[in-house]
Amino acid sequence: MGRRVDDRWLFRGLDLSVAGGDVLVVRGPSGCGKTCLLRLLAWLDAPDEGRVTLGERGPADIGAPWWRRRVAYVPQTPPALQGTPAEFLARVGTFRTGNARRDPVGIAEGWGLPPSTWDQPWSRLSGGERQRALLALGLCGDPEVLLLDEPTSALDDEATAAVEATLSGRTAVWVTHDAAQADRVATNVLELGTP
Amino acid sequence: MNGPLELGWMQLAGAAALLLLNAGLSVALRLGLERTIAVAAVRAAAQLALLGLVLESIFGWDRWEPVAGWCFLMIVLAARAGVRRSKRRYTGIDSVGFVALAVAGGSTAWLATTVLIGVEPWWAPRYLIPLLGMILGNALTGISLGLDRCLQELDEGAERVDLALALGATRSEAARPVAAEALRAGMIPILNSMTVVGLVTIPGMMTGQLLGGVDPGTAARYQLLILFLIAAATAAGTGLAVFGSLRALFDDQHRLRRERISLR
Repeated sequence: MGRRVDDRWLFRGLDLSVAGGDVLVVRGPSGCGKTCLLRLLAWLDAPDEGRVTLGERGPADIGAPWWRRRVAYVPQTPPALQGTPAEFLARVGTFRTGNARRDPVGIAEGWGLPPSTWDQPWSRLSGGERQRALLALGLCGDPEVLLLDEPTSALDDEATAAVEATLSGRTAVWVTHDAAQADRVATNVLELGTP
Repeated sequence: MNGPLELGWMQLAGAAALLLLNAGLSVALRLGLERTIAVAAVRAAAQLALLGLVLESIFGWDRWEPVAGWCFLMIVLAARAGVRRSKRRYTGIDSVGFVALAVAGGSTAWLATTVLIGVEPWWAPRYLIPLLGMILGNALTGISLGLDRCLQELDEGAERVDLALALGATRSEAARPVAAEALRAGMIPILNSMTVVGLVTIPGMMTGQLLGGVDPGTAARYQLLILFLIAAATAAGTGLAVFGSLRALFDDQHRLRRERISLR
């Protein structure tokens, strides 16, 4: 796979595969294309060359929204959203692809996020609360592959350990700066260099 | 009913002399606007004199072709003005604006002359041209506000749209809040002006009819007709422009193509 930004290649000739249950940790300096790689895998951006597949089939075969339900990208922090996480969850439930197979409120409660948090406006939540709510939203469709962008960057050690425990055994491409976390969760490591 | 009082060139020259007040103010306070005032006055005079001449010939010919040509020109100019007011653009925005105004303005003006007023023939320029002009002039405001909000939401709010897509939304599901915001922005001005009309302002068209000797009841009914037509055309035009823009800025793989939006 390759991705160009303006006239230069961010990366090129990248060929990777992740087996079921594996966690591929992606590391590298800021601006090397880690987030960009996750967005390509989620089919939110188009690769300039190459393709992505799940088994034999690509996003165009199964339909991009259905692809994203199975290969779920969770951004590092949620954008500025109106309303509450509970309202956002209700909206996700109206999507044609959206039947929640897991209860995100219950998942997040296991990470120390009380259910009452879901009825607070996003703007009143701390960074750590937002991050856990968002990650739980990403898990509620029970995706086959998770694309995680620094999923615990705003969490303390206890919550981080709880999140890692929930995610263990799941197939993931996991971007992290935290070397200790990489050692704990990685089955493979991809180092991206400066372009 | 009285006919309009004749307004001659001498009286008009007298009114133009009032502009000396603007010029005097500009000179006294060093606003540096003398040139602008002069240019604006000359432009207004030239444009309206030209309009008078053109309409006189179009009214006189009694053929539909020049009426159609003039209406086409009005739509082109209105679409350009509407699209240019938005801070962002994308390739194809001009045609989206044109189609939106042509369909929304054209159909409401046609509805007015055929069904509502019942003019024979329906394209009679004395009715069609001023009606279309009023509709376009107002609908273009709605379209430009709607387009501006739509492009702003897709550009600055791209992360919100992407988050919905990442959680499995189709492009129409992801774009729905954007469309709602844009439509609201486009329709609010005309709704606002409908609530204060007659209390604060006597609208331009009603003023014109009153000066032209039409009785106030008829003038008020015509004004109401125009307001309703404008509201309908604004809703339809804004909807079409926003829908067309969303079509252009999402691809068939349900991706938001933010890079297609550029700031002017």
